[in-house]
Amino acid sequence: MAANRLKNLSAWRDELDDLIRGASGGFLFGIPLLYTMEVWWIGSSVQPPRILMAMLLTFAIIFLLNRTEGFRKVSDTNALNAAMDSIEAIAIGITCTGLILFLLREIDGRTPLAEMLGKLVYESIPFALGVALANQFLGDDRQSGRQPKKQNHHHRSSNSKQFNATLADIGGTLIGATVIGFNIAPTDEVSMLATAVSGPWLLAVMIVSLIISYAIVFQAEFSNQDKREQQQGIFQRPLSETFASYIISLLAAAMMLLLFDRLSWSDPWQQWLSYIILLGLPATIGGAAGRLAV
Amino acid sequence: MTKDSPDQKVERPPRSSAEWVSFILASLICATIAGLVVYSWIIERDRPPILKVEAVGNVRAENGQFYIPFEVTNVEGQTVESVQVIAELEIGNEIKETGDLEIDFLTQGEKEEGAFVFKHNPRDGKLRFRIASYRLP
Repeated sequence: MAANRLKNLSAWRDELDDLIRGASGGFLFGIPLLYTMEVWWIGSSVQPPRILMAMLLTFAIIFLLNRTEGFRKVSDTNALNAAMDSIEAIAIGITCTGLILFLLREIDGRTPLAEMLGKLVYESIPFALGVALANQFLGDDRQSGRQPKKQNHHHRSSNSKQFNATLADIGGTLIGATVIGFNIAPTDEVSMLATAVSGPWLLAVMIVSLIISYAIVFQAEFSNQDKREQQQGIFQRPLSETFASYIISLLAAAMMLLLFDRLSWSDPWQQWLSYIILLGLPATIGGAAGRLAV
Repeated sequence: MTKDSPDQKVERPPRSSAEWVSFILASLICATIAGLVVYSWIIERDRPPILKVEAVGNVRAENGQFYIPFEVTNVEGQTVESVQVIAELEIGNEIKETGDLEIDFLTQGEKEEGAFVFKHNPRDGKLRFRIASYRLP
């Protein structure tokens, strides 16, 4: 009885892990397009037959991807399971895309149905592809085993190792944040979004950024997760690492906005705050991937 | 990426109840979205757009300028692009001031708000709004 309950609980946990892994892959692949106004516009004006065609095309591509890899821990190329997983990948894409579009005030209660559907489906295409490619992005633990990679055990003092580990974390976060952020920082999207997203919404963007970053590094079970959990350095705990890397991603976002002249020293502090937090969301997602890659 | 070799392939166990629950929820989400797309297709089909523009709220005076809020609505019909809204202020049988503004998109039922900023007080004359043009996507 107790064994059955435990098995059931573990099945639910595995399923949740799979869904989080899929969503994390989706965020890594889909976030740049979520910050692309042309896609919002196309979604606003596209006709329903095209939306249906887009859904069918997405299903076909994801089905082919799921026939080879997919987002689940257990690999299976069975056609029926691949088709079922494809429906789940599209649903994860639509749900997460809806959440981010709602957070960025691109859809709300007043958005007409046709516009909402167009934006949701068109933005969820790359997101759903990211879900299906989740295992390809940063590898997975299936074959690499659950043992963390051995750290370099040279004869160094523990302080020096801690310093190097911290430096690697900061470097990984900066590289990842810059790679994703560079695609978005020079565009007009951040300033456009800043006019609609303010006050409590900015706070919500911060909270969601932290949750996604935590999920990618510590919940999605990409390869290196165990290594991350045993990482030395000043970011020793998952929560402190998530917060510290968020701050680094915000700094990277500020630097990029300055570099591309989207912010200047004479701009009001409210503008700085909203621009940095809005670019901070994709930058944090990139930073999380960067830390997994180091 | 690690690729499974054929002899290493792990057979997937039958779907657990958790997997069935998430599949059913996912199917519901996809079916709802597809159903809504078909529904919006049926109600929107081939109907020409009807656009409406009207003043909303109060005129605000700041630093010698008058802010005149308006709202433009695609009452029904298909989506339109580049909707040009024009405002004219007529004082003493003469058009004293005009303003125009372009709205990027208006889907069926969508409302967009904006404001014209005039130098003359609109209460001193007759203010008219109109839609000058639009483009079909």
